Amino acid sequence: MNDKHIEMRGVRKVYRFFTLDDVSLALEPGQIMGFVGPNGAGKSTTLRLLMGMVAADAGEIRVLGHEIPKAQAAAKRDIGFVSAEMRLLPHTTLGWHMEFMKSIYPQWDGGYAATLVKRFNLRPEQNARSLSLGEHVKATLLLALARRPRLLILDEPTTGLDPVARHEVISEFMDVLRDENRSILFSSHNTVDVERISDTITFIDRGRIVASDEKEKFLDRWRRIQVQLPPGVTLPALPNIVKHEVDGQFLTLTTNEYSEGLRNLMGPHVTHVHRMNLEEIFVANVMFHREARTQ
Amino acid sequence: MSVVTRKLIAKELYVNRWFIFGGALSGVISVLIAATGKMGFNVGSLTWLTTIIATGVMLGLYGIMNERKEHALQFVLSLPLSIADYVRAKMLGLTACFLVMWLVSSTAALLLVFAKDGVPDGIAPYTILLCVFMLANFIVVLCGSIHAQSEAITSAVIIVTNMAVSIFMFTVAPLPGIGKFMWGPAPVWNSTFWTVLGCELAVLVIAFTLPFLLAARRRDFV
Repeated sequence: MNDKHIEMRGVRKVYRFFTLDDVSLALEPGQIMGFVGPNGAGKSTTLRLLMGMVAADAGEIRVLGHEIPKAQAAAKRDIGFVSAEMRLLPHTTLGWHMEFMKSIYPQWDGGYAATLVKRFNLRPEQNARSLSLGEHVKATLLLALARRPRLLILDEPTTGLDPVARHEVISEFMDVLRDENRSILFSSHNTVDVERISDTITFIDRGRIVASDEKEKFLDRWRRIQVQLPPGVTLPALPNIVKHEVDGQFLTLTTNEYSEGLRNLMGPHVTHVHRMNLEEIFVANVMFHREARTQ
Repeated sequence: MSVVTRKLIAKELYVNRWFIFGGALSGVISVLIAATGKMGFNVGSLTWLTTIIATGVMLGLYGIMNERKEHALQFVLSLPLSIADYVRAKMLGLTACFLVMWLVSSTAALLLVFAKDGVPDGIAPYTILLCVFMLANFIVVLCGSIHAQSEAITSAVIIVTNMAVSIFMFTVAPLPGIGKFMWGPAPVWNSTFWTVLGCELAVLVIAFTLPFLLAARRRDFV
């Protein structure tokens, strides 16, 4: 259990209008996990639980082998946390923050910090209050990355960034992962970013984990199949169909377990089989689970 | 005390340096104004009181509420510290900030009482009680701000503590053990003085201890 960078088991957190229920997650060293969910799904709550900022009502959380929230101070020595909401301390400069971090983290890499300042086009003498949203995100990322953490927990880090800034930030994440002992948990509702960098993906919706697997497995298994049925012909009962749309004699079926066997069951009536991108898989997955819950 | 806690205390002193410096300077200037005569004494006393109250309020608002409001709290809580460490750093750091200004202003006020001929030494006990009351008042503001989850509650605490200053002045000054000797040539350290001082210190200790017992054990801090 202790060699995992993150392990959550059966975690529950109840708020007045929202409940995070039975959340279980595991992140191995060297992995990038994309944590995807719509707004209000529970992504930020999950990450705050991991950081000890809020405490779970039930379940077990371990980060880098430390029990959370009890041993959060020890765990956070090796965690870099960045949130789109997070801001630097007012009345101080980025340069002051860099010195502050250097005094706290013995592993602070000043050379790398200076490189990131240039790469992100930041000015250390700039007051925190005068930073734009994008600059705040880049500054907090710089402060998280230059301490060389074993685990990066990122809460919607690319939200509000322009495409160029997003590219810069994502490229830095890729650099971090060159060290295979480091890992990233990366929450977002931007599936393009997640698809680009993650090797494992977890979908969350309305406080529950709806699916978690390797990205390639999601992309391999999910298909949209178009079928044209002649009058009087019906399809046999098909397994693993999560969505079924009919438009006259045309059928569009979405499956979460595509195989040649499934295609053969539909015989010669299949006209197209489309691979789905992560956004399509995410939406189909969430809708399927919502319908399943209401039935 | 962990390194991070010590660094955060130092951070409070650095971030609030202008409040501390401004407050101390204003406190000293107020005392100098008070030394200029009867009219000056009234004006100086008023600005001296306002300075101490305002600095305390600013430290509570900027040090705690603004950090939360401007989402800098997440940054602090991402550092290697526990909720208890954070509460400890805030209480000690902001109290240290206030103490610097308070010590300068209180010392200046007592110097005025003992060094200025026109000001009777008999007012010293009341001055000390007022100074300690202002310190306790700040600790109550700090305690309220660290427990409050909303700006409205913090504002309510600030209003109540501001009103408490007037109530204190109008309640304690007429006490026979205080008012009777206030304009005398020598300070009288009687039981009334010690009782009021004891009450102030009790409030101070309770307000200072509560966050370590309650806020430090809070399960949700963001």
